Order: sequence, then structure tokens, then C-alpha cells
Amino acid sequence: MAGQTDSTMTLFSSEEIEFMAEDEMAEIVPNLRMDSLNFICGDYGPFLPQLAAQVPLWLALALKKRGKCTIRLPQWMSVENLTRVLEAERDSHAFQPLPFHYVEISRLLFDHAREDIPDMYMVRSLIEDIRDVRFHKVETNLEKFTASTVTWKNMSAMEVNVIRAFAGRALQAFYKHDNEQETPDTDRTPNKQPQIPTDRPKRNLKPR
Amino acid sequence: MYARKGYELVKDLANGEKGQLQPFNEDLFNQVVDQCTQHYLELQALIRKMQEESVDVRETRNADHYGALIHHLSLIRNKRCLMAYVYNRAEVIQNFAWKVGLELLELPEEIQEKLSPSEKNYFGKHSSALQSYMAEVGIDLNVDMVPPKDPYIKVRVLDDMGEGILLSDKTANLARHSMHFLKRTDAEQYIARGLMEELTG
Amino acid sequence: MATEESAGVMDDYEMLISTTDVELLKRAWRNEKAAPEILQYESSLVQRIKEQIELAEQNEEIFEANNIDPLTVSLYQMDLDRTQFLLRSYLRVRLQKVVSSGACCAVLFFGGYVEFDLLVGFGMQIEKYLFYVLKTDEYLNRLSKQEQMFARRCTDDLGSHLDETVLAKLPDNYRSILKQSITSEEDDMGCTLESLFHEIAEALNSPHKFLIRTSLVPAPRLDTFVICKAKQYLTGLDFEPEYSMEITEMERDLLTFVCYKFVKKPLENGKIDLV
Repeated sequence: MAGQTDSTMTLFSSEEIEFMAEDEMAEIVPNLRMDSLNFICGDYGPFLPQLAAQVPLWLALALKKRGKCTIRLPQWMSVENLTRVLEAERDSHAFQPLPFHYVEISRLLFDHAREDIPDMYMVRSLIEDIRDVRFHKVETNLEKFTASTVTWKNMSAMEVNVIRAFAGRALQAFYKHDNEQETPDTDRTPNKQPQIPTDRPKRNLKPR
Repeated sequence: MYARKGYELVKDLANGEKGQLQPFNEDLFNQVVDQCTQHYLELQALIRKMQEESVDVRETRNADHYGALIHHLSLIRNKRCLMAYVYNRAEVIQNFAWKVGLELLELPEEIQEKLSPSEKNYFGKHSSALQSYMAEVGIDLNVDMVPPKDPYIKVRVLDDMGEGILLSDKTANLARHSMHFLKRTDAEQYIARGLMEELTG
Repeated sequence: MATEESAGVMDDYEMLISTTDVELLKRAWRNEKAAPEILQYESSLVQRIKEQIELAEQNEEIFEANNIDPLTVSLYQMDLDRTQFLLRSYLRVRLQKVVSSGACCAVLFFGGYVEFDLLVGFGMQIEKYLFYVLKTDEYLNRLSKQEQMFARRCTDDLGSHLDETVLAKLPDNYRSILKQSITSEEDDMGCTLESLFHEIAEALNSPHKFLIRTSLVPAPRLDTFVICKAKQYLTGLDFEPEYSMEITEMERDLLTFVCYKFVKKPLENGKIDLV
């Protein structure tokens, strides 16, 4: 609407989120000898066969696609860890710690490094389940919005992006509403943990 | 009702899809402009009447005063609608420079048809402002609109395409079911024609 | 998963790599994309990145001349592509802001007249409007020289487009704000109208300024919500005192959905990042 900059322009596209995820570090085991790479984004290598090296994910994937390395599965992507995370996600309201770009990193690895992932199908379905549980949590959380500031621990990039537009607008409405209704704001308590509303009148969003 | 036409004009704008342009509604636009003129004439007439009746225009609060007030406010309301219409369209037009191209001639016919002459002129000026900026900083901003990907992709040939096919960086024998590592830009045309598929994993 | 200690080590490591200019540019790009207003132009950073891009382009030629293996060349190419995308996207996001929101301040500065936003209450907008007039200089200083020039041209072009399409077709007294007072000197009718305006204004009390200055510009919406992450623990002192009721602290690495204006100060001080 008038007076507002185009909001789609300022958000991150899924390609852009993937772009950022590609800068996360990954461990590779090269099968070739190659000098150091002195990139604008940093120095990597030198690379020696069978000697593990830390490189950005985009570089790992490029080498992988050219058959020059294997990618070591990040520790958090092990079946053991993912099973534990999934259970914890189900048992708790909180989000479990996962890399900020866990969705994109795992998708990129599924797409381009399939043979480096033991139990590929298991890993994939675990991540899908985790993702679903977390998305559901995001939705339930949205229903509980009561404050002008909301914090979330361990939320990932994709989750943030998906709900950004909705949550942003909802919070804006709350903020406006608050300011109209509660001036002067003498009895207002600062919101340290707004996801657990206790001392303020309830103004929950109705689901849907 | 006064200012109804102006409202319709803005509605015309709001009904369109975001980022898309309807044809410039010259008919309605001119009607709103005419209404403005009409309001102004009536406003003048009322004030003249008050002057002829020798009432103090500044102080009097009679029917004529409030009549004039209503015409004034209606005119301003219409003006706001006209401005909103043109301004919001201008915003869409600015974006063409990014999304479609920097030259008016690059714009597809169906877009050009929707622009008023002044809007075409505006597009040209805006594009040239952008071009001067790019020249100043020495960076072309109209490329790399999306994040870069690996310039090479793995493909499988779906149909026999023959030997010694000339690609930008090599010649290749593209036999059926063979797999290759090609420049994305080379492969895209073949993928589009269904002769190859991109491989992942 | 990660214990507190190892998280700390990781963060230190992240701090270390965040010193590369690409990392700084990515931060600037992300913040610029997520912020509702235009931020300070990263002049020296852009300069350094441009130099590094040039150097990489030169290297490319050297590689070609020396027959370096195509694998290495293509990897360098990818690094270059990524950096160029970031730089272009950063400059692009800023330009788009200059055109749509940032420039509105320049519009005022250069005596333009943009009026719209008819669906928003008049009174409220006027306060914002005056507020931004005062802040105009601050906004202009955030732009690079080239951006300032671009803003000026955009404003002029948009101004003459609006002039041609709308204002010129309206009755004299309604063509522009500036003219209203000028014609009142010469034209009796205008003079009468002028006094009428004042009367109307007084009668209607509040939209007073609106009638005198019908020109409105969109102000950046500082009450937009953003998502941010603090790089360190923030106390009340890190925020503007006027928002002390709204926000008192921010935990490190915790994602916070918050009204942009509350965190404007720590953002400018580089203590938080928008995500």
C-alpha cells in the first residue's frame, strides 16, 4: 500500500538464503593435490589427498560435483543426533539447537553429495520430521503472541523467513494497538520472556 | 457524490495485481481533472457571490461559506487521488528498469501500450538516471539479479545429438545417455528443448 | 548439542572470519535488506571490495596466460561471482530504497512535491512529515555522492512527471504549494482564497498544516518489525532511553522480533545484526 516500501523487495528470497547457507563451513576430504586458494572471501587449502580440510560449503559442493572430494557429514546430521533432536523437539516447547541454516545445508547435501551420506533416506526423513515439528511449533507460537517484542531461541533461517511477513505485520498491529490503548504506559512491564505471558491482560490471537 | 470518481480511480489502481500495470485510465483520469475544474468554478462562484453580497468572506459562516469549503475539500481529495494514481504507477514503472530492461524499446509491446506518453517519458528519464549512476560507480547493476550458482552442471543426454557439438569452452560428443559436465549457459538451451536433463546427487 | 564453552569458541572463530571484507559486506547487505530505512553507506568497505574484485579480475587474466588448470580457474571464478553478486545486490537494495523511501527526504530537500498516502489519516502523517524535514540532512549524509546525485535526479524526474500529468491540469491555486502564496500577492481571487484557506484551517482545527502544505511524503516506517540477533549481551544502555519501557536487554544470539526503532541504535553501533 501507499507509504510502504515494497516488502517483498526487502525480504530474502530462498535463493538468497541458500546463498548465505553456502558460506557455512564444511569438512571435505580431497582426493587431489591443489595449492592454496586465495579467495576474496578468505584463504583455503593447500589441499592434499586424504587430508581433511575446512572450506565453505559452496567450495565443498563445487569440488564434490567435479569428483575431487568427499564431504564429511556434519556431526549434527548423524542419525543418532537427529533422532535425539527429533525426540527433544517433540517433548519440548523450545527449539532445539541446530545450525541456523540446517534446512538449506541438508538440502544441498542431499542434492549434491548423496553418496557421502550414510543412511541417506533415514537422515532425510528425520530432517523432514524435525522441520514439520518445528513449523508446527512456530504456528502455535504465533497464536500466543501477546507482546511487542518476541524472542525465539534456535530458530532457523528458513523458519524465520517463512513467518517473517506474517509475524511482522501481526506484531506491528499489536504494537499500534498497545500504544493506542495503554497510554500512558505506566503499568507496562518490560518484556523479557514474552513467550510466557503472565502479568499482562491476555490478547491472544485466535487460531486462524 | 463528490470525489467519487477520484475514489474509483484509486480503486482501479488497487484492483490491479501488485507490480502489474493496468492501462492508463485516461478517461476516468480526465473526468477527475474535469471535476476539479468544476469544483473550482463553483468555489469561485460562491466566493464571488459572497463578495457581491458584501459579506465578509473571512468572518462569515453562512451556507455559501460551507458550500465553498466543501468544494475546496472535494478538490483536494480529488487531487490526492490523482497524485496517488500517478505516483503509484510511477513506482511500478521504476521497477521495470530492473525487471524488464533499461530501454523503452526493450519493454514488451503490451507494457508500452499501458503507459501514458508522460509515463513513457518518465521511464526513459528514470532509466537514464540509473545508467548514469552505474557509469559513475563503474558497476553494472542490471546483471546478477539472483545469487550465482556453480557455472557448471551435470547433465545426461536424452536424445542422440551427434558428435563434435561446439560449446562455448569445448566440443563434445553428445551421445544418447552419456553424461557431461557442461557450462550451465551452454546446457540450458538443450534442457529447454528436452534434449538433456540436469542431474543432481 | 554444543556446550556453552564450545559455543564460545565457535563464536570467537566466527569473529575471526567475520573480519574478511566479504563477511562485512554480507552483513551490510543483510542489514540493508532487512532495515526499513536506508543505512549509512559503507564507503570504505565498498572501495576495498571493488579493489579486491579488480585484483581478482586481473588474476584471472594471469591464470589464462599461464595455463593454470581449469578447475582452479573455475573456483576462483565462483568466488569472484559471489563477491560481485553481493556488491551489486547491496548497491541495488540501496538504490531501490533511495527511490522509494530514502529519497522522500531528498524530495523535501530539493523542494519537490509528492503527495499520496491517501488512505492514512492526515493528522498523524503531518507529524511524521515535519519530523523528517528536521532529519533531512541526516538522511542525505547516509548516501554516497553518486546516490545523492541519483536521488536528486529521481526527485526531479518524478516531480516533473507529476507536474505534467496532474498538477498542470489543476486550477492555478491547486497546482503546487509554493505557488499558493505567490499568486496571493498578485491575484485578488487568490488572496480571497488564501484567507479562505486560513479560515477553513482554523475552523477545522487540526488539519491546519495539511491545508497550507498539501504536500506529503512517505516517511520510512520505523515501526516495521525486524528480526535481529545481538552479537553480545545488550543492556538498557545500548538502547535509546525513550524506549526503556519497551526493551531493557537482549541476550546474545537470541533471535528477537522487534520494532525496528527500538534497535536502531545498537544496529548503528554494530552490536546487533538483522537477519
